[in-house]
Amino acid sequence: MSEKGNAFFTIGILSLILFIFITADFFNVDRVYSETEMRLLSEKPDYDWESMLSGEYAGEYEDYITDQFPGRDKLVKIKMRTDILSGRKEIDGVYIGEDGYLIEKHSPEAYTTELENEKLALLDGLVEEWNAKIMLVPTADNILSDKMPAYAQYYDEEAFLERVKERVGEHNYIDVYSVLSEHSDEEIYYRTDHHWTTLGAYYGYQAWTQGTSSFKFPYDIENMTTVSNDFQGTMYSKLPVVSTVDEIKIFPATAFREVSVMYDLEETTDTLYEDSYLQGKNQYGYFLDDNHAFTKIETDYHNGRTLFVIKDSYADSFIPLLQPHYETIYAVDLRYYNGLLFKLMDECEPRGGMDVLVLYNCAEFLESFEYY
Amino acid sequence: MVFSSVVFIFRFLPMFLICYFAVPGRMKNVILLLGSLIFYAWGEPVYVLLMLFSTFVHFALGRGIGAKRGRPAGRAYLAISVIINLLLLGFFKYADFLIQCVNMLFKTDIPLPGLGLPLGISFYTFQIMSYTIDVYRGDVRAQSNLLDFAVYVTMFPQLIAGPIVKYRQVEGELHNRTVNVPEISRGAKRFVIGLAKKVLIANNLGVLWEQTASMEYSRMSILTAWIGIIAFALQIYFDFSGYSDMAIGLGYIMGFKFPENFNYPYISASVSEFWRRWHISLGSWFREYVYIPLGGGRKGMGRQLFNIAVVWLLTGIWHGAGINFVIWGLWFALFLILEKLFLEKVLAALPKLAGCVYTWLVVILGWVFFSLDTPGQAVLYIKALFGLNGGDVFDSQALFLLGEYIVILVISALAATPLVKMLENKVKSKGSGYSVAVYRFCEKLFIPFLLIMSIAFIVEASYNPFLYFRF
Repeated sequence: MSEKGNAFFTIGILSLILFIFITADFFNVDRVYSETEMRLLSEKPDYDWESMLSGEYAGEYEDYITDQFPGRDKLVKIKMRTDILSGRKEIDGVYIGEDGYLIEKHSPEAYTTELENEKLALLDGLVEEWNAKIMLVPTADNILSDKMPAYAQYYDEEAFLERVKERVGEHNYIDVYSVLSEHSDEEIYYRTDHHWTTLGAYYGYQAWTQGTSSFKFPYDIENMTTVSNDFQGTMYSKLPVVSTVDEIKIFPATAFREVSVMYDLEETTDTLYEDSYLQGKNQYGYFLDDNHAFTKIETDYHNGRTLFVIKDSYADSFIPLLQPHYETIYAVDLRYYNGLLFKLMDECEPRGGMDVLVLYNCAEFLESFEYY
Repeated sequence: MVFSSVVFIFRFLPMFLICYFAVPGRMKNVILLLGSLIFYAWGEPVYVLLMLFSTFVHFALGRGIGAKRGRPAGRAYLAISVIINLLLLGFFKYADFLIQCVNMLFKTDIPLPGLGLPLGISFYTFQIMSYTIDVYRGDVRAQSNLLDFAVYVTMFPQLIAGPIVKYRQVEGELHNRTVNVPEISRGAKRFVIGLAKKVLIANNLGVLWEQTASMEYSRMSILTAWIGIIAFALQIYFDFSGYSDMAIGLGYIMGFKFPENFNYPYISASVSEFWRRWHISLGSWFREYVYIPLGGGRKGMGRQLFNIAVVWLLTGIWHGAGINFVIWGLWFALFLILEKLFLEKVLAALPKLAGCVYTWLVVILGWVFFSLDTPGQAVLYIKALFGLNGGDVFDSQALFLLGEYIVILVISALAATPLVKMLENKVKSKGSGYSVAVYRFCEKLFIPFLLIMSIAFIVEASYNPFLYFRF
């Protein structure tokens, strides 16, 4: 090709690229919601002089056309694949581990001693006044060390848990860390989600029975049933370029007996497992209907015992295993409940009348544990 | 508006270029002026008035200077022009900093005006001064066409990040310019390369630097500190030179030949060479309008060293209102003075690599001050660079960062040298054969590939999945 031919070619192909995107954008119907990102996308901003003059309109318009850009999901993946190709093992706070594990990063700098102290102090009242058992579950980066990328940094939850144990006393501390470490070569965390699996929760249950000197219901690991085999969770959403999928399993025994569950004092249902979630993206919501501020469970085990759980979503797959131990289980998620915690607890049962359990994963505990 | 955004690439630029090429000759300047005002006003509508005010005032002053050249009135007009420019710059850019200094020195409590910095003010005030000074000196004729002058001041390609185009460099093109297909193509390629430098390389390195800069310097290992600052050194080069490439490329598309702004600064074998290769248009501006008028090197060694100190103090302050920029400028002045005194001769006797290593060290330590906010932080960081914080030579964090970024660091370090260009010329000079055919083929696909990748990177920056467990 001549020099001039080359020049025409370059101008032509670059213009073509712009033209294709602009035309596609023109015929592209605005999406309200992105399934990949699980959020509402920016809409076309309203035009008025005030927002124009402040420059606000410009910012909103930029968000809008970038959110609605044609082929957005594909372009996002091109960037992520390029990063992976260049040898990156951590992208947007997700470690790309061995065996298809996507592991949430908790960087050491994010969890300071001051933060630890602040959260530990909040446990004192619960332990002293309610004799609460404290059960903090380590996250996957701490337990799945051999699946983590070489030299990857993570916040040391083992050291933090030592401090928890010291603070609340051996009697009130439930040691999940040791049990999970022993089983670290098993499927105890999802590959594409930040939660522990039902098997992980089962080992948590084992630790709980030891810590509370309770009997151990004979759940059978060999006979777990698979309720979904196409689960791709939160870590996948952050990095939607891996082909890994997870299975969600349950112990049939937990779905065997009758149960009555009331969410937020409104809806009542007869199951701990909401099948509808398995059709969508948020499949972990299958356990206890995703997140609710307040949940009341009445089991078919009429032993008159009551448990009050202060929890995050790690507890959702764990609570079903406790049915044989309690007639009534209350669960409060402090991220959604804004009332006075001790008042709520008093309304459920007077002090001493029920067991109290604090169940969080370590990172979530440090990030969001707070009550009034 | 920034070049590396969806709005610019897919809305502003296509519409602007269609209008620009659709209208005949003289109308092009009207479109260019309107386009530039829209470009500027987008996101910053109020300060566009300030820029228009400057345009009118200095157009009139320029006419006055031209008419009264050699007479006291001409001198007075020039003085007014320079003072207005410096006052504007001083008021919007340095007021907060100066008041802070006064408050600190005299223990006063004067409130800060807290004005936002008008976009591009450092660039267009300098451009205007190059015009009025040159008119005064008789190097150019005063512009008689307000439209042409307004185009010079407001022209969007170099408006917000340079290069600083001197009036006489584009005087002819402002009024009458021709474009042809090879130059448009060349400009388009240059724009895409600049975009890729900014989006594919600089932004990625920026993430690495931010990560490092936010760590605890007192516990940082030596290797981590070096990885971080090298990432910054490369980031700022690719960011800034990428922006200049985009500006120069857009200039070519419209028939302007803007001056080059960077010439592989990191292969310099002395600090004075570095400043001949880094931000060339700023260096040449200060040289022409400050250093030489002060006497340059013609008034004896002592005066020359003083002049160097003044110019680099100003260069430092020009980059930002802050004590660290002052230190940064003076740091370079120190080595330039040492080079003048004896170091240049020493370096000449040593192998070139020694000069390069020395220059890298000076430049990199300079970047520590440039990139961090306070002298205290910079000193802590420098301690970390040399292990004076008691840190290890390397730790697992450093090894992890190295593994994550080694590919991009190596690619960008190579891309900062003329290596690729040399290979390209070598292949081209062969004229025919297999390697030339491969080169031609890759060349055709490379630029479109870079554009698509850059788009992907721009769009991904807004990827923000809502994770239900976080509410």
